[in-house]
Amino acid sequence: MKRWAPLVGLLILAVLASLLLGYRPITPVDLWQALTAPDPTDAAHVTIRSIRFPRTVAGLACGGALGAAGLAIQALTRNPLADPGVLGINAGAAFAVVLGSLVLGQADAGLLAVLAFPGAALAAAAVFALGGGLRGNVSPVRLTLAGAALNALLLSLVTAAVLMRGETLDVVRFWIVGSLAEARARPLTEMALAAGAGALLILALAPKLEALSLGDALSRGLGTRPGRVQAGALVCISLLTGAAVAIAGPIAFLGLMVPPIARRLVGAPLRPGLIAAALLGASILLLADTAGRLLFAPAEIRAGVMTALLGGPIFVLIARRIRPGAVG
Amino acid sequence: MAAATASFQAPAAAADDLTFKHAFGTTALPRPARRVVSLGYTTQDPLLALGVRPVAVRHWFGAFPHSIWPWARPYLGDAAPDVLIGEVSMERVAATDPDLIVAIGAGLSQAEYTVLSRIAPVLVHDPADSAYGTPWDRMTLILGRATGRLAEARELVASVRAGFAAARRRHPGWAGRTGVAAYHWSGETGAFAGADTRARFLIELGFQPTDAVAALSGADDFYARLSPEDLSPLDADILLWVSSFDTSPDLAALPMRRTLTAHAEGREVFAGGLVSAALSFGSVLSLPFALEALEADIAAACDGDPATPVASAVKAGLAP
Repeated sequence: MKRWAPLVGLLILAVLASLLLGYRPITPVDLWQALTAPDPTDAAHVTIRSIRFPRTVAGLACGGALGAAGLAIQALTRNPLADPGVLGINAGAAFAVVLGSLVLGQADAGLLAVLAFPGAALAAAAVFALGGGLRGNVSPVRLTLAGAALNALLLSLVTAAVLMRGETLDVVRFWIVGSLAEARARPLTEMALAAGAGALLILALAPKLEALSLGDALSRGLGTRPGRVQAGALVCISLLTGAAVAIAGPIAFLGLMVPPIARRLVGAPLRPGLIAAALLGASILLLADTAGRLLFAPAEIRAGVMTALLGGPIFVLIARRIRPGAVG
Repeated sequence: MAAATASFQAPAAAADDLTFKHAFGTTALPRPARRVVSLGYTTQDPLLALGVRPVAVRHWFGAFPHSIWPWARPYLGDAAPDVLIGEVSMERVAATDPDLIVAIGAGLSQAEYTVLSRIAPVLVHDPADSAYGTPWDRMTLILGRATGRLAEARELVASVRAGFAAARRRHPGWAGRTGVAAYHWSGETGAFAGADTRARFLIELGFQPTDAVAALSGADDFYARLSPEDLSPLDADILLWVSSFDTSPDLAALPMRRTLTAHAEGREVFAGGLVSAALSFGSVLSLPFALEALEADIAAACDGDPATPVASAVKAGLAP
């Protein structure tokens, strides 16, 4: 279990940093008191209980979900550069958020979260159907193309909505970046449960999903039914990414940069890879959020900006190392 | 107000009066303008107040016919200006056959200014002001001069100033108190600063920013961003929340807000939808509108008695 130690250590470090570091100085003693004997008038206790604690939970759920979802998407599409954006899931969530704020004329954190989840799920279902999922087998290439097409369509609809009503631009502009700052107003418990369900299911499906990468004939020979496995995987991916987007908006690059690092650390098998990706995703998002709190204090940099700054260079590195035809 | 005809002016004075120095150079008008395109996001207000109905209006936000907000609607009469949305379309501007293009606070680039200047003389902001930072009074006077209605412009400015002065006289207790206009939007909280119309509104009423807000923002800053972990800079005698919406669940649920003395003592005022737009426009027409809408609430918040309910804060769910 030597290879797991750094992953678990990093996560513990990230959680402690997320709880202890920020604009308001917090000591471990404050932390202990806030958890054991909270005083609602003490600004330090309010900071810990109402701001940092929800942010930490949100970072764990959202980062873990995105890390695992990223690896699952790459396994499903057999594309080492795939991420939730590729399957149109982020665009689906964005479209639902824009449409909702346009129709309802309101844009609070709770409402956006409620809209994002079904938007993401519907987009995933649409991609699956477009990719030929209803006929029982989806080729990874078709899935990726369908995702790219839906992505383009939805984003142009988002743009159209924004042009129609400038006010929605404000909503989109902030939401699209992704941030943990509004964690407290988001349905954390429900979304953590949804992500947990998706994670357990994808862990159960992992061996069958791996078998698919052996090719159609061989995987059928091994007794898997590609269409069902793919549909199941897509349900899990929708649960994971839908929950993540509902908690923090579409956090950029996290689902893309985590899987290759996870594969390096624990090797090719998908099941341990998924666990490693979840641990890594949570750690990176928490550290990104904490860094964003400290860099230009008192102003905060949104976590999505930080992950994009980190993920951009990593994306280029991965792209340069790809050998065509290899699975990750 | 005396109805003005812009027909007679002494020639020498007219030449003098119709030359404008601005950030992109100098613009001289041959005669007071009649067909005016209002490209600035808020310039339709002072133009209408002066009795000049623009041939085209720039859309900023909101969903009102011709992009004219309620405080300016009575001045529009039966005019139907073209509404320009988004990027400036040179063809549409040219099609209105203007003799003046008012682009103060329109965010024009030098290149756009050059193209527009081939259509008609263009006015942009004064070199002393930032692109969107022209004060309402200066804006009104510049447009008064450009349309040959300087006397009316002076009258308008004086009457709005008199309105603020009367409010200060009605509430002598406001002088020297601290007041902060703040926003909470999409997970970010901040205070409007000295260059912003919303902060200036409180200054006009005799309030001054808290030291912390003043320290966090420079003279040209429109706002100062705060950490959600420390909102103490907002702890003023008056805390005016400015929101684009009539209700703001995010603001009501903001944890650190509850630790502010301003919250505990019921000194928060809420400006939603229409009133916040009036503050954002910060124009010769919208400021009196905002003052009328907010005066009673600011008085209730600032009366030294925590028990006095502030109607707008109660309605938005902010009251202690």
